[in-house]
Amino acid sequence: MIRFAAALFAMALTLTPAAAADKMTVLLDWFVNPDHAPLIVAKEKGFFAKHGLEVELVEPADPNLPPKLVAAGQGDIAVTYQPNLYLQIQEGLPLTRIGGVVDTPLNCLVALEGGSITSLKDLKGKKIGYSISGFEDALLGMMLENNGLKASDVEMINVNFALTPALMSKQVDAVIGAFRNFELTQIKLAGGKGLAFFPEEHGVPLYDELIYVAKNDRVKDPKIKKFLAAIQEATIFLINHPDDSWGAFIKAYPKLDDELNKTAWAQTLPRFAKTPASLDKTRYENFGDFMKERGLIKSVPDISTFTTEIR
Amino acid sequence: MTAFLPASLSSFARALITALVLMAVWYLAVELLQPAPFILPGPGRVLTALQENASYLLANALTTFSEILLGLLLGTLIGTATALLVATSGFARRWVLPVLVMSQALPVFAIAPLLVVWFGYGLGSKIVMTTIIIFFPVTSAFQDGLRRTDEGLLDLARLARASRFQTLRLLKVPYALPALASGLRVAVAAAPIGAVVGEWVGASAGLGYVMLHANARSQVDLVFAALLILGLMAALLWFTVDALLARLIPWSSTKS
Repeated sequence: MIRFAAALFAMALTLTPAAAADKMTVLLDWFVNPDHAPLIVAKEKGFFAKHGLEVELVEPADPNLPPKLVAAGQGDIAVTYQPNLYLQIQEGLPLTRIGGVVDTPLNCLVALEGGSITSLKDLKGKKIGYSISGFEDALLGMMLENNGLKASDVEMINVNFALTPALMSKQVDAVIGAFRNFELTQIKLAGGKGLAFFPEEHGVPLYDELIYVAKNDRVKDPKIKKFLAAIQEATIFLINHPDDSWGAFIKAYPKLDDELNKTAWAQTLPRFAKTPASLDKTRYENFGDFMKERGLIKSVPDISTFTTEIR
Repeated sequence: MTAFLPASLSSFARALITALVLMAVWYLAVELLQPAPFILPGPGRVLTALQENASYLLANALTTFSEILLGLLLGTLIGTATALLVATSGFARRWVLPVLVMSQALPVFAIAPLLVVWFGYGLGSKIVMTTIIIFFPVTSAFQDGLRRTDEGLLDLARLARASRFQTLRLLKVPYALPALASGLRVAVAAAPIGAVVGEWVGASAGLGYVMLHANARSQVDLVFAALLILGLMAALLWFTVDALLARLIPWSSTKS
């Protein structure tokens, strides 16, 4: 009897952590890809479990949806883009940045090497394709002005998600919104060679490409703190053990085991936020000023209203 | 002329009343349930967005409107020509009809990105998209009408030794015009979808483009404003075409 009770007690002990695991939903900005490495590693290598979390990763039908869903109380955390956060705040979405995923821009302008474009000045009178993200006119406008051109010197065409096909089929002369860790390899695999121009080298202030946001009234939830702690450990593991992490990634998503993702994995590693929970206030203030100067927002929001550092 | 005007006016008035009732329901729902504006903006916010972006919306609405008109024109031309071909030639009927049905089964969203690569990001791909969408209703309605000529009249034509062309021109086509008219009404209502789908996958202007942009900037009120214009445009087109058809083909009355 005593032995039975002990067994029951032992069982209860092993069961308790699993039963008590906090369920969390993270809405990704896009289909799973190497940009989500810290999340995938935290899930597959047990860092979420260690912090008592059971995290579900959800892929969106539309990259603009996750912040709206989280603002509406559907899901705990959304992965989104720093520049879009300012637009969302202006439209009244109750969101707060709680951490960083990728803390440099990934966005860049790409033309085909060997074509008529060797510098940004050559873009005069050309067609530029883009996938609507809400702020590419600001990005491109700044890059052009930095090189003595005006926004009206080029023709902007929304090519939706077909950035590489539009460029390779020569329907456009350059594309903006291409990710430096992804589209450049995609172009290479399609038999071309991309020539990249980086916004932060042409007058655009530095920003975080990918961030985590949560609904304002849920920021203090202990789950969020646990989540960031797990992501911190996963990021360190990812950087120290890239091959092991890649193995875990393709084990979880076997369909992504190809040349494109393997290259992207390696190229994205140096771009992950090393301390995901920390915040560079100056960077957020500067980018707010930039968004206002470019006419995308009417006033610069006080950063304390939409950012926080959870310690 | 005087016979159809009051009728079409009253149907327009009815549409207006229906629209006002729907607006009232919308307004009340937003007042009562108080959803956040980024989930469902009230009519007030949408009207403000409409007013603040009037010239931007108007310029883009004109682009979409011309895409719809040109697509309608092209789709009607190709559709009627195909129907005539299928009706007059057994060979065409056997070989073209299955392709026609298959073309309708293709999801336009799947082929839209390809159309853009083939026809470019300008007006061309949107007109082709609209044409594809309205081609089937026009062709199938007209072809159906061409098959349903009264047998007695066809016997009379044979007795009068009318040629195949004369039978077609004087009997079959006039008899099929009411059917074509129904096909055209369906086409007019569906055409805006073609234009907007075309803009969705690649464009630099148009209401579809406006909606994509507003969506990316979380401006839900502007998305609704564009939808409102699109709806009004479709209604205006439908009533115009309906009135025109009633005038041109008086024997195809829509009055029930």
